[in-house]
Amino acid sequence: MATKNIEIIVNPPAPHFVGDGFRVHNFIPSGYHLDMQRMSPFIMLDYNSKFHFPPSNEPKGVGVHPHRGFETVTIAYKGKVAHHDSTGNTGVIGEGDVQWMTAASGILHKEYHEEEFSRTGGEFQMVQLWVNLPAKDKMSTPKYQGITNDQIQKFTLADNAGEIEVIAGEYQGLKGSASTFTKVNLMNAKLKKDGVANFSFPAHFNTALLVIEGAIEVNGKENVGTDKFALFETEGESFEIKASEDAVVLVLSGEPINEPIASHGPFVMNTKEELMEAFNDFNVGKFGYLED
Amino acid sequence: MIILIILKPKLPVVLDNFKLYLSEKSDLTEAAIDKILKEVRVESIQKGEFLLSAGDVCKHAFFTEKGLLRAFTVDESGKEHIIQFAPENWLISDRSSIYFNAPSDLFIEAIENSTVIFISTEFMGVVSEMSSKFRKANDRALQSHIRQLQHRINQLLGATAEERYLTFIQKYPDLLLRVPLWMIASYLGITPESLSRVRKDLAKKNFKS
Repeated sequence: MATKNIEIIVNPPAPHFVGDGFRVHNFIPSGYHLDMQRMSPFIMLDYNSKFHFPPSNEPKGVGVHPHRGFETVTIAYKGKVAHHDSTGNTGVIGEGDVQWMTAASGILHKEYHEEEFSRTGGEFQMVQLWVNLPAKDKMSTPKYQGITNDQIQKFTLADNAGEIEVIAGEYQGLKGSASTFTKVNLMNAKLKKDGVANFSFPAHFNTALLVIEGAIEVNGKENVGTDKFALFETEGESFEIKASEDAVVLVLSGEPINEPIASHGPFVMNTKEELMEAFNDFNVGKFGYLED
Repeated sequence: MIILIILKPKLPVVLDNFKLYLSEKSDLTEAAIDKILKEVRVESIQKGEFLLSAGDVCKHAFFTEKGLLRAFTVDESGKEHIIQFAPENWLISDRSSIYFNAPSDLFIEAIENSTVIFISTEFMGVVSEMSSKFRKANDRALQSHIRQLQHRINQLLGATAEERYLTFIQKYPDLLLRVPLWMIASYLGITPESLSRVRKDLAKKNFKS
């Protein structure tokens, strides 16, 4: 199989705050060469690199906001997030957990630092990823997949190299527990120093990685350091990562959804008319109601 | 000690919205519009900065190329009353202050970081000279502005909170996501609690879980 090489390594862009609780670097879609079509089905990736929040009696976060037309995937590396939504769901995403929320036809939600975490303060590190839905599923019923760390499938690598947490898709025959609408692979490679992991995805899948901890060498030639994002070419299938020090790497690869994208803020649809409809439906309460 | 001064080239500001506005309202050639765009006054206004303060005479109409402005008054008790929002492609001004050269009652403030085009009376005159279509469009805009104001007075006097809200979301489809609810309540002349009630009642009616 041909090697999949790195196309570009992107440094974390200057951070900005989402609400007052998430200090994020936006890689997708505003990073160089990382627009929605190029990265499809991954249409947004905000990375809260490790950041120390001081104690606060008022939990910091993002107030009530809508989503329609895609899924939000929150991966908590450090810290805890509490969430509430307009369908009555509520819960906490703890360290190592993943929340896969299918907003689809529309949901209102709010996300805050979990109360106890907020009171004590501490290190906070998260990824929020938006996964697009194909046109036929954009208006399907919203749903949740709360995946706690003990439910995440883990593949143990040979030679004590570490493990691969398979959130979605498949690694060496081990299937992740998240169900997806299109072919999506999402995994955390947790490697010990000098540990090696090999990956293989179809050539045309949009594939990238984000180094959460430590540093790695890709295909024996390129070094990718902490908080850096590497985009792979859409040629070749296989690549190898080797940890230069203990490392955690988020690996994402998905089949592109070749459909037009019309997006504005929290709505990602196929046409401008559908966007206008989304605004109107939100304004007249079709997403429900949630107290701020 | 050597001090290095690096001069950054000034990035050209993209004025797509204003360009479209001129091309729709006038019959000017693209070349003529491009020439106007080079000469027009464009400013980056930070969130919280004021373009007009009560007591000053308004000298410009402001076209929002990007961002969001609001016009408001402050009553004797210090309470704000929002008269108008101006997201992208809207004009905001105190036309009577300009016309009568009289102090304005209005504050005009950026509520997002904005790119704003300052349109003077002279500019309007020059473009009207160049294009009769623009002059007519500008007259029509004034009449339409008066109609809007009458409609707004009528709603503030007689419409229910829900009717006012429904008119608001037609006029400003994306503002609910951009401004705090208290500002919308202020624009509608209702309390924030009353706005929450309206939105809750609408959700009860329209949300099918």
